[in-house]
Amino acid sequence: MANLNIDSVKDRTFDAIVIGSGMSGGWAAKELTGKGLKTLMLERGRDVKHIKDYPTTNMYPWEFEHRGEMPMAVQEANPIVNRCYAFHEDAAHFFVKDKEHPYVQDKPFDWIRGYQVGGKSLLWARQTQRWSDFDFEGPARDGFAVDWPIRYKDIAPWYSYVEKFAGISGNKDGLAELPDGEFLPAFPLNSVEQYFSKHVKSKYSNRHVISARCAHLSKPNQIHLDQGRAQCQERILCQRGCPFGGYFSANSSTIPWALKSGNLTLRPFSVVHSIIYDDKLGKATGVRVVDTNTKETIDYFARIIFVNAAAMNTNLVLLNSTSHRFPNGLGNDSGVLGKYVAFHNYSAHMSAEYDGFKEWTTDGRNPAGGGYIPRFRNVFKQETDFLRGYASGFSAYRRRQRGWDGIGSSLKDNLVNDDLGPWSVGSHMMGETIPKEASYVALDAKLKDDWGVPLLKISMDYDDNDEKMKKDYIEQLTEMFTSAGFTNIQASSDHRAPGLDIHEMGGARMGHDPKTSVLNKWNQVHAVNNVFVTDGACMTSTSCQNPSLTYMALTARAADYAVSEMKKGNI
Amino acid sequence: MHRRIAIKNLALIIGGAALLPSCVHNSGKASVKLKNVDINADQEKLIGDMAETIIPKTNTPGAKDLQLHLFVLKMVDDCYTKKDQQDFMTGMGQFTDLVKKQYSRSFGECDQKQREQTLLSIEQDKDPKSTTYPAELKSFYGMVKGQTVNGYTTSKYFMTKQVVYELVPGRYNAFYPVRKKQAV
Ligand SMILES: Cc1cc2nc3c(=O)[nH]c(=O)nc-3n(C[C@H](O)[C@H](O)[C@H](O)COP(=O)(O)OP(=O)(O)OC[C@H]3O[C@@H](n4cnc5c(N)ncnc54)[C@H](O)[C@@H]3O)c2cc1C
Ligand code: SF4
Repeated sequence: MANLNIDSVKDRTFDAIVIGSGMSGGWAAKELTGKGLKTLMLERGRDVKHIKDYPTTNMYPWEFEHRGEMPMAVQEANPIVNRCYAFHEDAAHFFVKDKEHPYVQDKPFDWIRGYQVGGKSLLWARQTQRWSDFDFEGPARDGFAVDWPIRYKDIAPWYSYVEKFAGISGNKDGLAELPDGEFLPAFPLNSVEQYFSKHVKSKYSNRHVISARCAHLSKPNQIHLDQGRAQCQERILCQRGCPFGGYFSANSSTIPWALKSGNLTLRPFSVVHSIIYDDKLGKATGVRVVDTNTKETIDYFARIIFVNAAAMNTNLVLLNSTSHRFPNGLGNDSGVLGKYVAFHNYSAHMSAEYDGFKEWTTDGRNPAGGGYIPRFRNVFKQETDFLRGYASGFSAYRRRQRGWDGIGSSLKDNLVNDDLGPWSVGSHMMGETIPKEASYVALDAKLKDDWGVPLLKISMDYDDNDEKMKKDYIEQLTEMFTSAGFTNIQASSDHRAPGLDIHEMGGARMGHDPKTSVLNKWNQVHAVNNVFVTDGACMTSTSCQNPSLTYMALTARAADYAVSEMKKGNI
Repeated sequence: MHRRIAIKNLALIIGGAALLPSCVHNSGKASVKLKNVDINADQEKLIGDMAETIIPKTNTPGAKDLQLHLFVLKMVDDCYTKKDQQDFMTGMGQFTDLVKKQYSRSFGECDQKQREQTLLSIEQDKDPKSTTYPAELKSFYGMVKGQTVNGYTTSKYFMTKQVVYELVPGRYNAFYPVRKKQAV
């Protein structure tokens, strides 16, 4: 350990520490620094500065050595991350490569990670929907996991709070199962998407096709301009990092805001090994870090700690934080830490064609990606032989078709005089999976990483419920497509491992009862009141909406609570 | 802003750094440095002649002007599986022999018509059960054709002069009448 003279301890003492600088950590830093707390943000990866560190953002297609394709040697060396749809030449530098950070797969799990300042917020597809009470009441109604200790009304104002700052585009659709938010103008549905939307509305009472809601500045407000961000230019090269700040990322939004307050110290290259718990004081006093450049171990101290390392890594840090009081991981009196993890199931897809609207196409690009079909199964009551349900993506597009046949000058002509193909439509399922005790992450007993931290062991799998849900998705979408007059309808289902959908959740779940959960309704560790967990690890159940907006809202809410408790002297 | 990187990458594509010809073209060595496939100068010339037959110079640039054969070799070398690379080499040998047998001369020595006929005949042999040409030869041809066209349609020349590529559209029109020509 570093030598501890008094001054040095003072230098290493802050009001708050945030572990992780991604989607949720950025919000923790912004809120805590905004309330005047001297805050240290620890990030295991390198720094990525907005614009400056987006090396590919302005590159033309012909400027990529392999025109976007990943070299085979890289693909073969990285079978896991290579399965992620966004792992291409333009954004590969923001993904963790398989060999860099190994983990143990008790069952196959494709763990897709971004270890750098900004985390996965640089890479995400920016889909943002609120949860409703149908989601928060799910476990209690359907008898799985434990009851969520909060309801929609607890978090609704915080959704509004983060939406206004992040900038979310969408329509007020007035749906109970997908509450409206504080929206910037939506990206419109195109002719076929709109047709399908109308068709579905006329045919089914509780099914809807709406414009996807997404974290893009379709029309910035003053608060966005104040962040130094500009209107989204509809480039759709977002995963490279956006020079306009057109989409929300920690790099373009929350972190620069926190830095501007003068209260943030950002320390990249710092792997958090564990949280330090003081048995005598009965609280956490700081965090132990390994500097990845020097391999030096350094302790930092603070009154409150926010854990935002992304769900699986947050579990890892908590499990590795052992003390006399907590031999099995920080706050793990219940024994459930690391258990009841779950994920989303994106493993089924539909495609079809539509032989109409030939007079229309689209021009430019739609950053929202098209339409969104909110969950319609088992919402108001249980109606199938599986629990919960799925949302679906839906989009329609016309490709320019080039004749590749033949050679010579006729081929050259064909390549230029491309024709518009028919409308194609596509959909993918986004299913909720059920957290179970048998689905867990744990520390490997023997294997450690380069920083002396045990490797994470992951064990979760699909079950019968997932299979039935997938079958239902294919049946229902096939019926809806058929009834809309789509042709050449094809359903496909892949046998992906869990994880590829990059929405892993749980392990340090929220709950009313310390005997069966790790966190209380304020995301505060039941037994350690100055530690807060507000990333995906806190999720009691998974719903089927994309989760990141909920992490943001929970983080802002918990930070507000933490600071008010500090002021009252309770922490 | 990132001009330097952009220019470096551009150079890579159109014949700089990695693809830089090794000055003098001697000793039967290929002009490009490849890691996985072993190509000599004759073979490189063959790919060049095939690419030029596929995308010939007309009143607009052809494959050789755009160095597409070097792109083909780079892609085969970097982005294909070992098996595909083996097929590429075997198929190239079969192709060379076939041309020799048919015309008693090399592909480079054939006239334009012979070259075109040879390639078209392979391309039109689409039935997977057909035995007119060996599987590796067809696979070799497929790789040369595919990457020549890929290299052509994603070249700076094509994307700026033949079609309009925009890095920044700044618009999304969800309803756009078909008659108007749009950018890619
Ligand atoms: C391709 C892709 C598409 C996606 N699409 C969507 C979408 O459309 N909608 C949606 O809601 N979500 C989407 N997601 C998921 C979304 O990115 C994550 O839910 C979100 O980023 C999680 O936020 P987080 O703060 O928990 O983790 P992250 O953003 O991953 O940040 C965690 C940070 O913690 C750091 N860290 C980890 N361990 C340690 C340690 N021990 N010490 C120090 N630092 C540590 C990591 O390096 C990382 O920077 C997508 C993700 C990807 C990759
Ligand atoms: S679509 Fe918008 S956010 Fe994405 S890269 Fe383009 S301008 Fe940036």
